[in-house]
Amino acid sequence: MKNTSDLIDALADSITPVRRLHPPFVRAALWLSLAAVVLGLLCVAHGVRADISMRLRESVFVVSMAGALATAVLAAMAAFKLSLPDSARWWLLLPFPALAVWVSTIGYGCLTNWVGMDPEGIHMGEAARCFATLLLTSVPLSIAMLVMLRHAALLRPTAVAAIGGLAVAAMTSFTLSLIHDLDATIMILLWNLGTAALIAGLASLFGRSTLAWIAARVMPALPPQLSGH
Amino acid sequence: MPSCSKENPPYPNTPRLTLVTSTGSDNKRTSGGQSDWSALMAKAQGGDRDAYRFLLKQIEPYVRSIAGRCFNRPADAEDVVQDVLLTVHAVRDTYDPKRPFGPWLVAIANRRIIDRLRRHTRRKSREIELAAEHETFPDARANLDTTTSAERALIGAIDKLPPEQREAIKMLKLNEMSLKEASRASGRSIAALKVATHRAIRNLRDLLKGKPS
Repeated sequence: MKNTSDLIDALADSITPVRRLHPPFVRAALWLSLAAVVLGLLCVAHGVRADISMRLRESVFVVSMAGALATAVLAAMAAFKLSLPDSARWWLLLPFPALAVWVSTIGYGCLTNWVGMDPEGIHMGEAARCFATLLLTSVPLSIAMLVMLRHAALLRPTAVAAIGGLAVAAMTSFTLSLIHDLDATIMILLWNLGTAALIAGLASLFGRSTLAWIAARVMPALPPQLSGH
Repeated sequence: MPSCSKENPPYPNTPRLTLVTSTGSDNKRTSGGQSDWSALMAKAQGGDRDAYRFLLKQIEPYVRSIAGRCFNRPADAEDVVQDVLLTVHAVRDTYDPKRPFGPWLVAIANRRIIDRLRRHTRRKSREIELAAEHETFPDARANLDTTTSAERALIGAIDKLPPEQREAIKMLKLNEMSLKEASRASGRSIAALKVATHRAIRNLRDLLKGKPS
């Protein structure tokens, strides 16, 4: 290992001007506007579900949609806030009230709609289109989130990746509910909770290494002579 | 916050910090407090080398004082200091000069200290440091397993050779004597030595492969 004063000299000699990050909530708003663009494009390409006006009159559906959207917004705010070194870790709890509302309405919907499930409720064609929507929403949003949060790789990788994954999952679920009319209870459970758990789980499992991988490519912050450190 | 820290982290404008580092520049830092470091970091973000060097030199003893409370070995503490400086360099764009510098730096230092403590714990769970009681013989060299199994097998095979072949191998191959020197030393002809060596090598090959000679 090098001498610390040599290291200071090497760091000082290699310094380049950097652009300060925007405040975390501004960056969260940027990410959410990207999500809005993706959602808008999908709505234009695919169209919203046919029974949207009828469903919007059901309070459970409205509360569930609002819960998913609020979870996405609050989780994105928490992720960007947590990615800064000097923010308190309590920000991690920010999306949980909205998450509780969202999850509980999914459960309530399952109980009330249980009898409504018939063998023709599940169509593979719809499921495949649903899967395409899922990928089209979650992949660009995940990549954008990872690139925007790359500096967290050195600070709080697991927590930031998990909460960022929750934001992506909630936004994906909101999009799915808006576009596809999957009313069969198992499908609701599978797509909403399943995708949310899958994305958040993947994010917390691989978030640390993926953030480090992205950071190494997008953030060449260390001078070359120290990169092997 | 690492649990090894017995007290609250010494923020730059607390009196405790002046005890840790007693250089002349400290008076300026404690009177000006974090605003000095904030201003230096703001200049560093603009690419000011001298301000950045001065800032790193100022925070180095401060970070060492935090690390020193968590690690007994000075080398470990020094590694953490260097890790913290590298992290500060890598994430310097996350610092907002409107916010205090101390908590930002302490948070980074805590992350690096926790990372290193975790690495230590992982290593301790897998590795055992050899102590004096682990040594089996009083002679230090007797504990070193310098002879590999292949070498031992070869030496054993050479000992099994007929005497004239063993002598030829030892003189010509192990002691690296020339044919003339070996002939003079043993009183045998060069041709006889060559034949003996050839047969010895063939026998050794068989012996090492496990065939009877």
